[in-house]
Amino acid sequence: MKFITLISFILFIAASAFIIHEEQLLPHLIQPEVPKGWPKPNNIFATNPLTEEGFQLGRKLFYDERLSKDGNFSCASCHQQFAAFATYDHDFSHGFNNQFTTRNAPSLQNLAWVPLYHWDGGVNHIEVQPLSPLTAPNEMAENIDSVLQKLRKDAVYKKMFKNAFGTELINSQRMLKALAQFTGSLVSANSKYDRFKNGQEKFNPSELHGYEVFKAKCATCHNEPLFTDNTFRNNGLPLNSFIKDFGRMRISNESKDSLKFRVPSLRNVGVTQPYMHDGRFYSLGQVIEHYRTGIQQSPTLDSSLREGIAFTKLEKYDLIIFLNTLTDTTFLKNKKYSAPDGNTPLVLSH
Amino acid sequence: MMKHNLKIFSGIYFLFTFLIVLSNTALSQQKGINLKVIFENKVKSDSIILYDSIYTNPFGEKYSINKFRYYISNVRLVNNQGVFTKNTASFLIDEADPQSKEINLKVPMGHYKRLYFLLGVDSSKNVSGAQDGALDPTKDMFWTWNTGYVMAKLEGISTSSSLVNNKYEYHIGGFEGKYNVLKEISFDLPEADDLKPINQLTILITADVNEWWNAVHEIKIIQHAAINSPGALALAMSDNYSKMFRIKKIIIN
Repeated sequence: MKFITLISFILFIAASAFIIHEEQLLPHLIQPEVPKGWPKPNNIFATNPLTEEGFQLGRKLFYDERLSKDGNFSCASCHQQFAAFATYDHDFSHGFNNQFTTRNAPSLQNLAWVPLYHWDGGVNHIEVQPLSPLTAPNEMAENIDSVLQKLRKDAVYKKMFKNAFGTELINSQRMLKALAQFTGSLVSANSKYDRFKNGQEKFNPSELHGYEVFKAKCATCHNEPLFTDNTFRNNGLPLNSFIKDFGRMRISNESKDSLKFRVPSLRNVGVTQPYMHDGRFYSLGQVIEHYRTGIQQSPTLDSSLREGIAFTKLEKYDLIIFLNTLTDTTFLKNKKYSAPDGNTPLVLSH
Repeated sequence: MMKHNLKIFSGIYFLFTFLIVLSNTALSQQKGINLKVIFENKVKSDSIILYDSIYTNPFGEKYSINKFRYYISNVRLVNNQGVFTKNTASFLIDEADPQSKEINLKVPMGHYKRLYFLLGVDSSKNVSGAQDGALDPTKDMFWTWNTGYVMAKLEGISTSSSLVNNKYEYHIGGFEGKYNVLKEISFDLPEADDLKPINQLTILITADVNEWWNAVHEIKIIQHAAINSPGALALAMSDNYSKMFRIKKIIIN
């Protein structure tokens, strides 16, 4: 009896030690960032717990050119950190075999507060968004099985998938969840505007005046603190006759959605030029001029834009100064979001 | 004292181990029946031979079949108390993969009157991010530009098609609003009314591709050789293909 007691005790200790050992291997949970005073984000991590290991895996994937067919394009090729993860100075981004995209690459920031992704809202969950650029023939032009085969050959990825998800299994679901952990963590909330609102910094008279103009004339659609109401609206742009992009109508199949596009956030708008779904405007001055004099009437034009928006020269000038207070340099330079060691982001030659 | 404590401790440990073993045994011997649903894809009474056979649709249009796939999910049985046993798993029935055409489920004992299943992927799975298993996007049944699953896919060649290489291609999806193509299919199971715990219930269902063209609405290849997005046409096609199933046989053993 004594012997059995001893054996069972040893087994118990061994089992406990094993459990404790297993616990040490669990990934480390991170609390998703929710800036003070912001609305409640969508729970994008509900079935994908945010962990340090998952975030780091997503970051490596985001900067890995092997995700594209020819090894030339990573997510970061078109989503450059210094441009708030948009493509700087390009109306359309470059893709496989010298092709262009058909829409301006949007910035990637505060994605947990975005209910529907893409200019037309066609993507309903952050996890499935990467499938679109990965497989589009004019973007990364890959197929998912082929990407997974490349990742499975890499011992570093095997280890990172194990650290993030418990086993070395590499499948599309895990890859997509890891990417979502990285992109979903890109929170920009430390611009001069934010510091002004928190009482940490003062606006100069031009910025103050610009802010007043903004609140009176722009905030209906670009409402604070996210600087978008996430709706789809026709803002009076004439149809681009080359790409013939009717926006949300393609998704909803409803003529009432013709020429409607997602209202983009104005955070970091000073570094995300060019503007609009087709990148037709290269400066904020051109954008404001469009609202002042360029509105094209059409049945689906937003009711708030029927008469255009009046701006005096000074209002326009100070509005641009205010919009530049939305640039968050800590976000644009945060090393946490930069290419990890061993992944050098591709710099496109022009 | 020390020795006494150890005895109590080991006693508790033994009891604990015993309980775990007992509960595992109980789970594995849970009273239930095996439900097997077998799908047999056909064109009328002809077997499907992918790529190589030519079939004729109700309008006299000739066609071959290169791909034929559809999702079955939420398989459930209703018994004499009206209680549903529901399984939320999704299965991709792919004509190219014989194993995929057989669904095996463990269901509780009961006097089952009716079989229900969803033709398509439950709408909740279309809005919840990256899925795996039968719903893995690498199965090539997922739209990347307009999130959602292709619920049913039929592709092939037809001389009536004026598209490139005479292709015809129906990718039918859409899970919300007025263009929701999800269809609940149900069948009476009179023979399955007296099942015993040891029973295996096998339901053999045929799916007739020729119902796709005119079961409810007339859709000719010459007019519509491609349907690739949610909308009125996809909805009409789903009305048609929802009529393709017949119960061929119910086996209880």
